[in-house]
Amino acid sequence: MTAFVLALFDSVLDAAPALVFAAVGTTLSERAGVVNVGVEGMMRAGAFAAAASALVLPTPWAVLVGAGVGAAIGALHGWLCIWARSDQVVSGMAINLVMLALGQFLLEAAFSSPSGTPPITQLTPWLGHSPLTWLAVALPFVVHAVVQRTPFGLRLRAVGEKPEAVAAMGVRVAPLRLAAVVASGALAGLGGAHLSTAVLDRFEHHMPAGLGFMAVAAMVFGRWRPLGAALAALFFSVGDALRLSLASSAPGLLEVVPQGVLLAMPYALTLVVLSLQRRGASRAPAALGRPYDPEVR
Amino acid sequence: MRRVLLGVLVAMSGCKKAQDSKAPAPKEAAATRLVGLVTDIGGRGDQSFNDSALRGLEAWAAGVAFKGGAHAPLPPAAREATIPPELRARVRPVAVKPLVVQSKVQEDYQPNLQLVVDQGAGLVIGVGFALENAVETVAKQNPDARFLLIDSPVLDAKGGLLALKNVRTVIFKEHEGSFLAGALAGLVAKERVGFVGGMEIPLIKKFEAGFKAGVKTTNPSARVLVQYTGSFDNVQHGKQAGADLLSKGAEVVFHAAGSDGSGVIQAVKEARAGGAAVFAIGVDSDQAHLAPEAVLTSMVKRVDLAVWQAAADLEAGALSGGDVIMGLAEGGVTLAPVTLDFPGKAEALAKVEALRAAVVSGALAVPANDEALQTFSPPSH
Repeated sequence: MTAFVLALFDSVLDAAPALVFAAVGTTLSERAGVVNVGVEGMMRAGAFAAAASALVLPTPWAVLVGAGVGAAIGALHGWLCIWARSDQVVSGMAINLVMLALGQFLLEAAFSSPSGTPPITQLTPWLGHSPLTWLAVALPFVVHAVVQRTPFGLRLRAVGEKPEAVAAMGVRVAPLRLAAVVASGALAGLGGAHLSTAVLDRFEHHMPAGLGFMAVAAMVFGRWRPLGAALAALFFSVGDALRLSLASSAPGLLEVVPQGVLLAMPYALTLVVLSLQRRGASRAPAALGRPYDPEVR
Repeated sequence: MRRVLLGVLVAMSGCKKAQDSKAPAPKEAAATRLVGLVTDIGGRGDQSFNDSALRGLEAWAAGVAFKGGAHAPLPPAAREATIPPELRARVRPVAVKPLVVQSKVQEDYQPNLQLVVDQGAGLVIGVGFALENAVETVAKQNPDARFLLIDSPVLDAKGGLLALKNVRTVIFKEHEGSFLAGALAGLVAKERVGFVGGMEIPLIKKFEAGFKAGVKTTNPSARVLVQYTGSFDNVQHGKQAGADLLSKGAEVVFHAAGSDGSGVIQAVKEARAGGAAVFAIGVDSDQAHLAPEAVLTSMVKRVDLAVWQAAADLEAGALSGGDVIMGLAEGGVTLAPVTLDFPGKAEALAKVEALRAAVVSGALAVPANDEALQTFSPPSH
C-alpha cells in the first residue's frame, strides 16, 4: 500500500508541474480581464524553444528561453487583445493553430525530422525530481500572495473587474493587463519547457497534446484563483495517475469497469464537482474578454 | 488555349491507346518504371513507417538516396548496409525510379495520389492506414493505375473487405512479432513483465495477445502487467504508464502505444539511470536510437520489404491485387537486433530463434486475440 501511494506520488510530481504552471498562468491573464485560450500554443512554443536551445545552451538557460518565448507570444496576444482590440478567443485559437503548424515546420526545417528534436540533457534532478517540480510546488503560493496581498495584485484584479475604476485612480490599464498576459505566457512556456526538459528529454511533435486546454479547464474549475487552479491541476493529475495505477494493479477491476469508464473518470469527476458548486461561486472576472476603451462608458 | 491543348492531349492519348493495344506501352517497356509513393502526415524522417517505406523504395529497390532535395545514386556497399543480413540475398536492385510526394495534412492524400497517377507511375504506394479512403477513391477513379496500400485492407462502408483488382494491400501479423518480443521478455525477466498499449482497440489487442503468449511460453510463472494509456499522442501518459508498471516490478516493458511509447521508453531509461536493471521493447521500427542503453529490441514491421516486394513484382510483371498478410514466415514482422547484454543472452536468443522457426513452420499458432489466448498452450521444450 505504501509503495502504491509512493509510486502515485512520484508519478504526479513528474507529470503535474506542466499543468500547474499553465493553469496558474492562465489565472493571471484572466484575472486581468484578458481571455487566454492560447495556452496550448504557448506551451508548445515553450517546449520547442527549450528543447531546441538546450542543444546549444546549458539546460537551465534553455528552460528560461522556453519561458521567454512563451512570454513573447503572450506579449503578441496582449498586443492583439489590448491595443488592437481583436477578439480574445479568436486571437488565442489563432496562436494555437499557428504554433501547431510552426512547430512542425521548424522541426522539419531545422532537424529534418517530423517526429521530434534530437535528445538533450535533462534538467539535473534535485531531491529526486526536476527543479521545476519544486518550483511548481512553491509558485502557486507566491502567485496567490502577489494577487491577493499586494497593491499590484489589487490593481491586477481591479482591471479585470472594473478597468474604468482603475483608470479613474490614475493607473494605466493597458500596461497592467499586458504585464499579466506576458506573465501568463511565461508560465505557459515554462510548463511547456517542463515537458521537453523533465518529462521527456526532447521535443516530441505532439506536445503538449491538449494539456493547454486542460489548464484552461483547471483554471475555471479553480474559480479563477491561483491556488484553486493549482489544486484543480493537481486533482486532474492525481486522477490520471490513479486511473493508470488502478488499471494495472487490479486487472480484475477492468472486467467489472470498462477501460473507457476509467479513462473518462477525471473528466466525469470534474463535471460532478462543477455541478455541485454553488451557483455564482465560480464567477468569472466582470470585465473578462472586454477590451478597455476609455472613450466608452 | 488551355482547353484546346487539353483536347489535343486527350486525342493523342486516345491514339496512343489504340496503337498500344498489341504491344506494351513504350514507357512500360523502358528500363526504369516510375513508382510513386505518398507518405502520410508523418512524412520523411519519422523514423518509423514512412522512413521504412522510403528505404524499401529508394535504397533497396532503386538504389538511390535522397540528399539535398534530389535522388542521388547510392554506392552498392552503402545500399547493402541498409538491408538486414538475412534479407541481403533476396533483396536485389529493381529498375524503378522513385517519385515521392509528402502529405502535410490529411486532405493532401487524395490529390497527392492522383498527382502521382497523372505522372504515369506504374505503381502508386500509399503508406499507412490513414490513406485507406484516399487509395480506395483514387483506385476506383483510375482503374488502369495500380496501387499498394500499407497496413490496412480496403474496407467498404459496412466494414467488410472490398476487393479492388488494381489494389494490393499489405497487413502484418503483429501478434507473431509480439510473440517473439514476449518470448524474449520472458527470458530476460524473472517474475514480471509489462505491456503498455495505446488505445484499447482490436489492433493493439493483437500485440497484447501475442506478447502474453510469448511470455507464457518461455516463463509460465511470470505475471504480465497490462496498461492502456488511452491515447497515441501523449508522451506524458506513456511515461506515467511505464513508470507505474516499473514501480510494480516489471522488468521488461513492451509498448504498442505510438508516441505514448516514447514516454514508456523514457520511464525505463530513467529507471535504469536510477540503477534498476530494466528494459524496454520498442515497436514498428527499431527504436534503439531513442535510448540505446534501455531498448532491448523492437517489434519491427518490415514495411520496407513489403514495398520492395511490390516494386520487384511490378518489374517481373507479377504485381497482383488482393490482400497480402505478412507474418514471421514472410519476413513481414521480426525483432530488431539485440545489442544490449544480459545474463544468458546467447541461450535466450537461441530459444527465440527456435520459436521463430516453430511459428514459420506452422507448428505453432500464435493467438491474435483474448479468446485464442485462453486456449493457447505453450509448446513443451
